[in-house]
Amino acid sequence: MAAAMVLLPGENIPTDKLPKPKKGKLTLGPGLQHTPPSTISATTAGSLQVDHRKAALWLEHAGGRYQPSVGDLVIAQIHHSSVETFSCALTPHTSFAILGQLAFEGVSKKTRPQLKAGDVVYARVSKASKWEDVEIECFNSATGKAEGMGQLKGGMVFDVRPAFARRLMMGTDKEGVSKGGVVVLEEVGGKVKFEVAVGRNGKVWVDSGSVRETVMIGHLLRGADEGGWDVEGQRKAVKKALRDV
Amino acid sequence: MPHATRPSTNESAFVLSALRENLRLDSRAIDQYRPISLKFSSDPDVYGQTDVRMGKTRVICNVSCEVITPYSDRKFDGVFNINCELSPLIGAGVEIGRPDQAELLLSRLLEKSIRRSNALDTESLCIIAGQKCFHVRADLHVLDHDGSILDACCLALVAALQHFRRPDYEVHGEQVTVFDVREREPVKLTLQHQPFCVTTSYYDAGTIMVQDATLLEEQCREGEIVVSMNRHGEVCQIAKYGGVPVDALSVLSVVKQSWEKVKMMDSVVREALSKDERERDKGGRMKAELSAENERVMERPVG
Repeated sequence: MAAAMVLLPGENIPTDKLPKPKKGKLTLGPGLQHTPPSTISATTAGSLQVDHRKAALWLEHAGGRYQPSVGDLVIAQIHHSSVETFSCALTPHTSFAILGQLAFEGVSKKTRPQLKAGDVVYARVSKASKWEDVEIECFNSATGKAEGMGQLKGGMVFDVRPAFARRLMMGTDKEGVSKGGVVVLEEVGGKVKFEVAVGRNGKVWVDSGSVRETVMIGHLLRGADEGGWDVEGQRKAVKKALRDV
Repeated sequence: MPHATRPSTNESAFVLSALRENLRLDSRAIDQYRPISLKFSSDPDVYGQTDVRMGKTRVICNVSCEVITPYSDRKFDGVFNINCELSPLIGAGVEIGRPDQAELLLSRLLEKSIRRSNALDTESLCIIAGQKCFHVRADLHVLDHDGSILDACCLALVAALQHFRRPDYEVHGEQVTVFDVREREPVKLTLQHQPFCVTTSYYDAGTIMVQDATLLEEQCREGEIVVSMNRHGEVCQIAKYGGVPVDALSVLSVVKQSWEKVKMMDSVVREALSKDERERDKGGRMKAELSAENERVMERPVG
């Protein structure tokens, strides 16, 4: 995509931009809406991304608001617990998400998880719709294993923009180049030992052995997010920060 | 549904352990303020509008005035009101018209620091005793909250009062003519001193004292001490509403630290005011027009 087209809400996509699907099916991603018979319009402001191989279209937008969707890994903060569930906050000033007390690995009705208000868990969104409460779970309900989810102890939670969190979770492509263009964590990980969990709702949990290193990692994350550093700028900033610590 | 977010146990424990090692999350020193940005209105006819930013905290202030009848029990004084509002833009369940405790405390501290200390001389606002006076009104809106809103509000208010100009007037017996800004150059207000507020948050029963706390640091603190003073070291008020007890010597050292910060804030305001005056007076034209010297014209004498 040489020059990505920027769309405003309500604008229609011109037909020459649409990829040619092999089986006659076009996949629409977030931010697009289909009005039959053949109009596709944008619902948010963003740049249009097209994948010709998979015949898919979607809009990338650097919005500040996270909307839960099924399968997302999020960092939730427990607000209060009731009889069978914990009420957790995924984002401030929105309704609580429900986490079942039995949605953990290795618990039963007799041995419930010991979580209090203010604790932080890494969970997966299992149900998300506009008209119901969002539901999250701390284990993979198919296999019954935790797979890294559960309570996060110690460390520090940093706030980032949801679009930046998405870039952090994009992973690397075949050559080992980061697809999202964020290399700070890999660069720092070469010299400093730390654990990290990225929540798609705009939160990153970092736990390094020392307070100073965790503060440095948080500072680098904020710089890469708000400063908009590119890959070279991120490498330079990491080198400078590692020298100071 | 709006609910104020409390930080998680991980975050508050981390902030406390970082402070015990003399570290802050944005790599500032323990008593260092964030860079303060103070801007006035760019409109050349508008005086008394300020926009203050301390990191992400943002406050705007607008000073305006009108002519009214003074109160019958204070015939020789004008009226000065401060109206401070937290905007719903901050989030956290803030509603206009329903002040919560934080907003009430903010208004009360501003009243004590600025009105009760007579920073603005209300006698200078009187036009004709008992009949006409100026009513100066300052409206503050907090647009973004990342800690230290009282410090930012006080700075915005003092800068706006120093920047504001009231209309000029003339009194002939019982008749008062208040001139429009286009007829006569407006006049600055008489400020007797410039007070500033410094908020110190403390942790570990007063052993760690932090100035200019961010919102996260404020939510984890054990209490706060607010000191209002001017650059001469004259203290207007010291407030400590509840919180963990602190010994008296710590309070004295807090007052001394605050004095340094007040001097810093005062120099920020002075610099911004002089820069703004230079920009409004481009080419020195104002000085030339307000000068009383006449041009010398050679005329032939009559007769």
